[in-house]
Amino acid sequence: MSTETLDRPRSNRRTLTPLLFAAPALVIYLGFLVWPALQALWISLTDWDGLSDDNSFVGLDNYLAMLDDNVVGIAAVNNILWSVVTIVLPMALGLLLAVVLNRKSRTSPVLRTIFYAPAVLPLVAVASIWAWLYDPTDGAINTVLGAVGLDFLEQSWLGQDSTAIWAVMIAAVWVRTGFPMLLYLAALQSIPDEQYEAASMDGANRWQQFTRITFPSLKDTHYIVLALSLIESFKVFDLVYAMTYGGPGYSTQVMGTWMYANVFQYFNAGYGTAIAVVITIVAIAAGVPYVRSQVRNS
Amino acid sequence: MTSSPRPRSTRPQARRGFLAGALSLPAVASLASCASGIATSSAAEGLTLLTYDDIDAANLLREQLTAFEDKTGLSTTLDTVPGSGAAQFPDKLRTRILGGNAPDIWRIWGGQIAQPFVDADLTIDLEKYYDSYAWDAVLSGSGVEGMTFHGEKHGAPLNVASLGAWCNARIFEEAGVSAPPVTYDELESANDTILEYGVTPAGFGGKYGWHIMRLFEFLLEVTAGPELHDALLLGEANWDQQAVVEAFDLFLTWDSRGWITEGALGVAPADAEQSFVQGTSAYTISGPWIETQYIAPSGQPREEFSTFLLPTGHDDVRHSGFIEGLMISTTCGNPDDAAALIDHILRPETQAALQNTQSATLEAAPDPEEFPLSAQWAQIREESAIYTIQDQAFPKAVADSYFALQSDVLQGNSAPSQAARDMQQIVADWRDSQ
Repeated sequence: MSTETLDRPRSNRRTLTPLLFAAPALVIYLGFLVWPALQALWISLTDWDGLSDDNSFVGLDNYLAMLDDNVVGIAAVNNILWSVVTIVLPMALGLLLAVVLNRKSRTSPVLRTIFYAPAVLPLVAVASIWAWLYDPTDGAINTVLGAVGLDFLEQSWLGQDSTAIWAVMIAAVWVRTGFPMLLYLAALQSIPDEQYEAASMDGANRWQQFTRITFPSLKDTHYIVLALSLIESFKVFDLVYAMTYGGPGYSTQVMGTWMYANVFQYFNAGYGTAIAVVITIVAIAAGVPYVRSQVRNS
Repeated sequence: MTSSPRPRSTRPQARRGFLAGALSLPAVASLASCASGIATSSAAEGLTLLTYDDIDAANLLREQLTAFEDKTGLSTTLDTVPGSGAAQFPDKLRTRILGGNAPDIWRIWGGQIAQPFVDADLTIDLEKYYDSYAWDAVLSGSGVEGMTFHGEKHGAPLNVASLGAWCNARIFEEAGVSAPPVTYDELESANDTILEYGVTPAGFGGKYGWHIMRLFEFLLEVTAGPELHDALLLGEANWDQQAVVEAFDLFLTWDSRGWITEGALGVAPADAEQSFVQGTSAYTISGPWIETQYIAPSGQPREEFSTFLLPTGHDDVRHSGFIEGLMISTTCGNPDDAAALIDHILRPETQAALQNTQSATLEAAPDPEEFPLSAQWAQIREESAIYTIQDQAFPKAVADSYFALQSDVLQGNSAPSQAARDMQQIVADWRDSQ
């Protein structure tokens, strides 16, 4: 028996064993992610209504139709606005809160919990809370404005094109600030106190310490928060759907809600799925730098 | 000795193989079930009914399902998606059907809301059950018509719902409006009087579009009249005409003069619909379910509320109405049993037990002792014909475009004449696509 024939089964086992261990996860991944994604890609190339057995291949017609769809234009602009506002503000507020609450004090743990609490609420509950706050006649916001003599600012916040999307974004900022705050807090714990002590001895004030030590030390966290927020912002659906249902008119439609309307309500599953594919591609493109950085780091 | 390692290595391999197989099978099986599409129920599983009843109504229905089970020995399951409304329930039904979990029977609105399910061959023709249970004789004719698609009866009507003004009579009286308005001008005067008294006359919520649409369709009935209104809904008349422009003008007037809820476009229908019960508005346009849903639970005396037909100024004073019915899925393994259950639900005694105040069952008029306002409305509606509620007249995509136009007019983004032109384009596109 030669060495070669003795080694072959062992070598095969070495190849097979990891594959077998990976198989369950791989099967689930292929079955519940890759296969549905491929199916969705196929549906986007058809005129399927989402109910019947009939459909025809229409090539790229659904994608081309998006160019003529005014609502897609509104939704795309809203998505961009949403991404900028609901990434920048929660990041800035989260960082601010983290820096303030990072100090050792008896109230810090309580305040951290309070500020993080909105992040654990179901989004539908958040939507209900804010819809009541925005109610034009009985809502707390208009009531408070009226009580402090600012009644000229009272608005139908969710009932007019000019304010509705901003009103929903404020709710989103409220709910999304807790997450970056938590990540920043964790990262702040890893900055050695010695750096601040040395800077202090060199005469650096608080602002200089923040800009020269704190902010640069949080580079990796900025990156993680930014990437995750960016991906999250492209998937926006719940808050808009529950607070405004895309209205008034189409003014608060985002790509996610418009996709849902077409697939589930208008019986344009082919077209709606094409919108979903576009959302996915954009989200993947946004996530690529993050994934690459993680691979590089590992 | 060379043979000894083999068994040791084979056994773990076999175990691993079994493990991998066991783990991957469920996934493969679930994939296969997805690929096989819509599943068919069997007798052993009993009958599943999907509705959108609220908790109280669902509890009453469960009692009736239990009575049916006791009588027939068939088991039933009730699933309900309360509060979702016509804007959302069809999505949930559709998702459930595509997920291979189609209910045997489902409740749904008629017209363009139920139509896609019929067109997709997901419902069975109930003609033979109409014959065997004599449903034609015991159910409302307009209800049966509303559940008839392409000449086939694909549903049995459960409700013939009709919309009128439901009002807080105490506010009307205190404001100085002594009797319900009988002309459109009187209605406008009543609005002014109630507003001067300090209460918003009409409560409307524009979120989802369908609630504030009830005001616009009433105004269109006023300006267009019955014949033209029907032709417009069928797409047989041009929307770009004076009557439609006038309706949009009136719509704007109602808002600008403060006759409807302030900032109505951002208000949820459920909040606006019950505002007259709370006293923050004087009336709303709704149906008799208001009595069981809001008035009775409020604990206020029924005498403080009333209902009246909205005056249109035409000889034939019509009101908006819609049909709700029950359909049997083509995937139902026991359509005979399902039809028996539907028949049980539609019987007058069951309808009375369900406290249905708008039943399509002819012998199930609301009890005047228990539901005085619904009984009052039932008498009123007998003397008035119905026009199809607009969100059942149009497919949802068209209806949503229509709601968007109404929203644009109220916000001043679109002139009434432009809205009329745009609506003609929307309807023409819809007709072309058919």
